[in-house]
Amino acid sequence: MTDQTGPRGVSPFDPDGIEWQRVSSRLATARFVLLGIFLGLPLVALVVLAVLLPQAGPWLWASAAVVAVVVAWSAAVVSRQVRAIGYAERDDDLLIRKGVMFRSLVVVPYGRMQFVDVTAGPLARRLDISSVQLHTASPGTDATIDGLQPADAARLRDRLASRGEARLAGL
Amino acid sequence: MTSVGPSADDRPDAPETEPAVETGADAVPPAELEWRRLHPVTPLVRGWAVLAVILFMVGRQSIESMPEGDMSLATDHWGFVVLGILGVGLVGGVWAWLSWRMTRYAYDRDAVYVHSGILFRQQRKVRLDRLQAVDIVKPLLARFFGLAELKLSVAGGGDSGARLGFLRDADANQLRNLLLARAAGVETADGTDPVEEAPENAVLEVPVGRLVGSVLLNAATIVLLVGVVAAVTTAIVIRQVAPLFTVLPIVFGLGAYVFSRFSGGFGFTGAISPDGIRLRHGLLETRSQTIPPGRVQAIRIQQGLLWRAAGWWRVEVNVAGYAESTDGEQAGAVLLPVGSRDDALRALWLVLPDLGVDDPTAVLDALLSGSGDDLGFVTSPRQARWLDPLAWRRNGYAVTGRALLIRRGRLVRTAEVVPHERTQSLGLDQGPLQRRLGLTSFVLHSTPGPIGPRVVHLGDDEASRLLADQASRARAARTSAGPERWMQALG
Repeated sequence: MTDQTGPRGVSPFDPDGIEWQRVSSRLATARFVLLGIFLGLPLVALVVLAVLLPQAGPWLWASAAVVAVVVAWSAAVVSRQVRAIGYAERDDDLLIRKGVMFRSLVVVPYGRMQFVDVTAGPLARRLDISSVQLHTASPGTDATIDGLQPADAARLRDRLASRGEARLAGL
Repeated sequence: MTSVGPSADDRPDAPETEPAVETGADAVPPAELEWRRLHPVTPLVRGWAVLAVILFMVGRQSIESMPEGDMSLATDHWGFVVLGILGVGLVGGVWAWLSWRMTRYAYDRDAVYVHSGILFRQQRKVRLDRLQAVDIVKPLLARFFGLAELKLSVAGGGDSGARLGFLRDADANQLRNLLLARAAGVETADGTDPVEEAPENAVLEVPVGRLVGSVLLNAATIVLLVGVVAAVTTAIVIRQVAPLFTVLPIVFGLGAYVFSRFSGGFGFTGAISPDGIRLRHGLLETRSQTIPPGRVQAIRIQQGLLWRAAGWWRVEVNVAGYAESTDGEQAGAVLLPVGSRDDALRALWLVLPDLGVDDPTAVLDALLSGSGDDLGFVTSPRQARWLDPLAWRRNGYAVTGRALLIRRGRLVRTAEVVPHERTQSLGLDQGPLQRRLGLTSFVLHSTPGPIGPRVVHLGDDEASRLLADQASRARAARTSAGPERWMQALG
């Protein structure tokens, strides 16, 4: 066996002959908004506190710096993460891939599908996107596609449901 | 949120797509059913647990207040305490009796119906062709009364399936045999139901000596013993009892685990019958399980470092109905608590009589303790030594005609076997280090249970190929899989 450490050929997350469907770039907007709410606001609060309470010492500034680094890092990867999400409908199964640093690829046979969820929270509805999630009998199946246009989501849901019926088996 | 899928209720006439358990309006049973009640002692047996918990809590309260010599609270308010216990007992008793009154069950050719609930009524229908396993459970107290609980498991997580408890021993046995025969689709010449038990052949047995040895050679037991010895020594040296109290939670936690390993494996026997795999075990609470053919979703054979000298293995399975049962434990997922290599292979044979290879002995040898690329095994490439220096030659997989064989681990030897037709979905994942080295892990998603099959650190191309091939193999195996009613194929 040879020691392969040089550049390799095809990545296993990009099999030959698969045309990946992308999700809406509005998903990146949604994630930016969430980032702003859950990390941006605490960051602002920390900075304000640090300015108002100079006697608290460097700790407030230090934690603000840590949060700022996390925010910057997340902001930098969000759009790459969204671009990395892809799905492909094949004849017998659905492929979903995601992740930039930690990549994953899931193959869900239509015959194994138990049910399909289409969800959209308040933010997603405002941005006109929704998520489709496939469930099999296994809790390990992480087959969620975020950031679909509602029309695409509905179309995908109906197509998955009809394909699932045609190929349905027990467990 | 909308939810659609094969189980949507706009297609009620398609039997393949109906859920295994129905509650509410869909579960309205046919009118001519013969309804039965559970055994009248049921409330007492169930209520006993509540009473025991109350007594335990009161007892712990008084014990905890003892070291300070502060018994005044207990003595001054003794009357109130007794009244409180009586009151709670009375309310609980009435509730248990009402609950017993409201619970009734019936069955026909295709399903079991259970009606229950006092304030919130529940009507449940469990389809027999979707039965994943049938257990007869006898808790200690129920054994005194000669009672047993019948548990019907179906896939559906959490609180699915039906528990008929308690019934008289003989009734529970008879009902189980009847339901299994109907679930299997057994037809008799005169149209009556066969109620005698299907014949069985014992193939597995765990002697008490080996069970005790296996429990002693367990990390939990060793930690427990070391902890107790350390606490006692410290207590003697510093002449105070405080260390004993600090170690108490560990003793309770680990002790309960160790004891459950012992009591759960006590008197273990495994047998094969036309109804599937029959397991019997238990010290205080006995359990007699029947897992029909084709219901085992994945199987794992494992040997820890401590068991290697003795040559012992433990075999566990994923069965769709068993995981996340309401009692929180994964009871029933153990196919062999401890056994020799031959026993473990026999347990595997119970699930998968035909491995689909020419030389099963050699392949199984390689699966359990081999390493390297012999006999069709594909292992990690050389660069994986940076991530798993010990086991990279061993981690790998092999494909047979019937199943995917996965092996892993040098210290804790693990072998996982998943029949092709039991594959739910497949996946690959890769972290940043793996990407640098050109490695990818392959994951096979099985139903909930102790086993999560996974081939770690394959070469990129190899993982890609395995994913594509396994998807088509699973598809092919599914189309030729046996019927849900397993005896119909023979008849």
